[in-house]
Amino acid sequence: MSATEDPRPETRTERRERERRERYYAASQWTLIWWRFRRHRAAMVAAAILGLMMFLGIFAEFFAPYGPTDRDRTYVSGPPQLPMFCDHNGCSLRPFVHGTSTVRDPVTLRAVARPDPETRRYVHFFVPAEPTKLMGLIPSQTRFFGLEDGEKLHLWGTDTLGRDVFSRTLFATRTSLSIGVLGVLISFVLALTIGGVAGYFGGLIDSAIQRVTEVVRVIPIIPLYMGLAAAMPKEWSSTQVYFAMTLILGLFGWPTLARRIRSQLLSIRGEDYVLAAELAGARPGRIIANHMLPSFTSFIIVDLVISFPYMILSETALSFVGLGLRPPAVSWGVMLQQAQSIQVIEQAPWLFIPAGFVVIAVLAFTVVGDGLRDAADPYGQSG
Amino acid sequence: MVCAMRPTHTGKAGDAMMLRVENLSVSFRTDEGMITPVEGVQFGLDAGRTLGIVGESGSGKSVSTKALMRLLPNSARLSANTRMTFVDKRGETIEIEKLRPGSRALRRLRGGEIGMIFQEPMASFSPVYTIGNQIMETIRLHRGLKGAKARELAVETLSKVGISNPSARIDQYPHELSGGMRQRCMIALALSAEPRLLIADEPTTALDVTIQAQVLDLMHDLQRELGMAMIFITHDLGVIAQIAQDVAVMYLGTIVEQGPVRDVLQTPAHPYTRDLIAAIPRLDRLEHRLHTVPGEIPSPSARPTGCSFRTRCSDAIDGLCATKTPPVTDLGGGRMVRCHRHYPERTAT
Amino acid sequence: MLRFLTERAIGMAVTLFLVSIMVFVIMELPPGDYADRYAFRKYSGTGLTITEADVAAIRAELGLDKAAILRYFDWIGGIILRGDFGQAYAFETSVNSIIGEKAWLTLGLLLVTLIITYVVSIPIGIFAAVRRGSAVDYGLTVFSYLGLALPNFLLALVLLYFANSWFGAAVGGLFSAEYADAPWSLAKFWDLVKHMWLPAFVLAWSAMAYQIQTVRATMSDEIGKLSVTAARARGVPEGRLLLKYPARLAINPIASTIGFDVNRIFSELPIVAAVLGLTELGDLLLKSFLDLDMNVAGAILLLLTVVIVVMNFLSDLLLAWLDPRIRLGG
Repeated sequence: MSATEDPRPETRTERRERERRERYYAASQWTLIWWRFRRHRAAMVAAAILGLMMFLGIFAEFFAPYGPTDRDRTYVSGPPQLPMFCDHNGCSLRPFVHGTSTVRDPVTLRAVARPDPETRRYVHFFVPAEPTKLMGLIPSQTRFFGLEDGEKLHLWGTDTLGRDVFSRTLFATRTSLSIGVLGVLISFVLALTIGGVAGYFGGLIDSAIQRVTEVVRVIPIIPLYMGLAAAMPKEWSSTQVYFAMTLILGLFGWPTLARRIRSQLLSIRGEDYVLAAELAGARPGRIIANHMLPSFTSFIIVDLVISFPYMILSETALSFVGLGLRPPAVSWGVMLQQAQSIQVIEQAPWLFIPAGFVVIAVLAFTVVGDGLRDAADPYGQSG
Repeated sequence: MVCAMRPTHTGKAGDAMMLRVENLSVSFRTDEGMITPVEGVQFGLDAGRTLGIVGESGSGKSVSTKALMRLLPNSARLSANTRMTFVDKRGETIEIEKLRPGSRALRRLRGGEIGMIFQEPMASFSPVYTIGNQIMETIRLHRGLKGAKARELAVETLSKVGISNPSARIDQYPHELSGGMRQRCMIALALSAEPRLLIADEPTTALDVTIQAQVLDLMHDLQRELGMAMIFITHDLGVIAQIAQDVAVMYLGTIVEQGPVRDVLQTPAHPYTRDLIAAIPRLDRLEHRLHTVPGEIPSPSARPTGCSFRTRCSDAIDGLCATKTPPVTDLGGGRMVRCHRHYPERTAT
Repeated sequence: MLRFLTERAIGMAVTLFLVSIMVFVIMELPPGDYADRYAFRKYSGTGLTITEADVAAIRAELGLDKAAILRYFDWIGGIILRGDFGQAYAFETSVNSIIGEKAWLTLGLLLVTLIITYVVSIPIGIFAAVRRGSAVDYGLTVFSYLGLALPNFLLALVLLYFANSWFGAAVGGLFSAEYADAPWSLAKFWDLVKHMWLPAFVLAWSAMAYQIQTVRATMSDEIGKLSVTAARARGVPEGRLLLKYPARLAINPIASTIGFDVNRIFSELPIVAAVLGLTELGDLLLKSFLDLDMNVAGAILLLLTVVIVVMNFLSDLLLAWLDPRIRLGG
């Protein structure tokens, strides 16, 4: 074959095109997935939102102006205070809020905080505050923002006990997301073990495992959890309940993924390279981990991401009806416990702000999962 | 006969050519911009004859025939000067490219005038209906028969394609039949509407070799019996030699050579055709390694400049083939070729 | 077909057996035993001191002193042989009389919920797939994402709020006050229907969103199949073509996930029931767990799971009926 050389010199666009192609052919599976994922705009936005949520949750002690249980008795059930730049007295470059004074409601005789439009409290950043420990480890005396002179700023209002909704939401974000992460991790390990054993050995072991999987799969999770929650000693601390809950959610979340791993393993069980590894004397665990799993790791990751919303929604729902986390622990569900009636929607709608976080987190996980699924599927070009 | 070089006159009395395709170009919008998998394809077909279209996968042969049936997805565009005319059973001329999607005329053309069978007999049937259900649907649509009459005709068609015990087979589901049997049913399905033209898109590729020969024989016999024209798509020149009278060789969306099968196989004019012929395994040359066409077919989005075959051509002319698209040369006897080596006024550098 | 049926039926029996053991274990989990609390309630306020012997006597009376395995067989035997779920201690009556009518109401609610789910999701999913990439498809996708993300107790609250401010009436509960304890009549049934749509819609919400996506995805796959192109090449009119070929196959995954949907609905039932103030099964479950009345709780958990298992079995049958490859494949 005499490949006739193109007499024209390569133009710049052509070279760029050729280099792009060469990179494409040389790229690894993960790089390709990342490239395809990057093109999925909605998934990128969702991933950024999740990243931000995790960041805010991890450094809640820094971003939240107050602790999750700090009470402001002068501002109970107070509406959100949104920083502004202008009021009827003119404008300022530094955002401010109006001061408040407590008056008694003439009808209900309850103390109500009323904004005083003549006083201004300016918002400062990196303000000194009471010492705390970031993530419970690093000592710090600085908060991201706050008011001067120990005045308090309640960005998203306060609840019926005068606790700052904004601060609590950040701490709740940490709790709720971490339950999701731990729960998914536990069910992942279980699914990997159980599905791996069933799919690798097949036969009688597989049938037995399939039966057990079936049982775990058919029992409705929340009624089941209710039974187990009832069994939890009342004197358990909120930390113990937190771990128990995570454990239970994880313990019952594995069947779907285990089934997927099992069927994938079964389908590649007979491949020559598995046989080759076996003949070479590799042990089952090693064969599964080194030779079989990598061929569908991307699918496992997609499944994991998609199972997050399930964990988060379960936690929220259970805490909401009082069976999940117990105060003083604070999660989105625990916060929403205060918003159980339609009167709240009318009188203190800001107590529903954590619900927005639930919706956004679940949406974001779903969209990222979809984006990953599209990216991991080598045949779905632009699907 | 195949005759792409005829002047494009219109409506001349006695012009008996049943199917005529001129300037067929199809382009798709994709993420990487427009690609044109079929460009400037011309061919014609007389009633009762068989045209073989041969080429590697990606050469645009399936796209061309799908365009004929208007089966291309919405992202596909035909060029403005594409003309596809078909003379139907009643002697009327249909301008295929002008048919409205969803119109009665288009539905009559599909199946009723032009039948189509595909490479994968299993995938061509819906798995949840019986063979009979799908055949009788076609009969109802195109022959106007219902109930027992339609069933009777379906059984008759099945026995015609060599299905034993057709009155029992008719109630079976596709997955209960063997591959060869399914392809026979697929042929019966296409024939049940009595089309004037049958397009067979690699109908034997998915079958075992022995079954392949049976199905080819069957199609050959049926065609003679029914006086039906046929377009037979394949990547195998050997099959073409058995079944077709005329052949068109496609490469990267254009027809590079066409003419009567015998002439083209004996004296191939285009280097690509020569390569394809050399690639046919022959029992008398077993000691030699199989010859293959060197290289891979480029993607339609990266079509080489000039002659599209030059990157794999052993006979390319330096400087010329890379810059100029070779024009069509009429070699006489109904043959044509698209190659600089045959262009009389070529200018060698 | 017969082999398929027997296999599934045996599988169902084994699963039910394992489920009953699991439920029994859960019933045994709460610390302390019922005799303590029973004794406390019986004697509190009477001025009598409770001795260990008193409690032991109660324990023997209630049969709580037997070995766990014997109590399991007593319990499951009573359920299977006599349909007797035992004594509801907290309510001082039998479990059957507490659950009784509520079980049927729950089943009715489940059916209405399933019907709403499928009647909405199947046509919408098919439509979205046919119009893939259009504004309508995009809107429906966003809607179904939201459907998955909005916890249904919140949806229930929001709907309750709007129902309250628009209709001015309390929409909670399953019956109006005047019918709650009335004997069954046409008027009471109508009252039930008027109340049931809200909980049924809330419960159907996420299943609906999920199934819209499933139907859309399967339908999109099916539309691209060769069998559809082949049918189109035979001149089948487009509308009928879509219904007969891809749509017919797009409902198969729905048939196979009915059990899954029931599970999802039952899982959400207690929460939604709490918000909407439904006094049927779900709410009862919550109460009995809080009261540690494990006989009631266990009976409910078992019943819910039995319904799910049976629905799984039915969905297998339905799938076999819909798909000849399963039916005839053995």
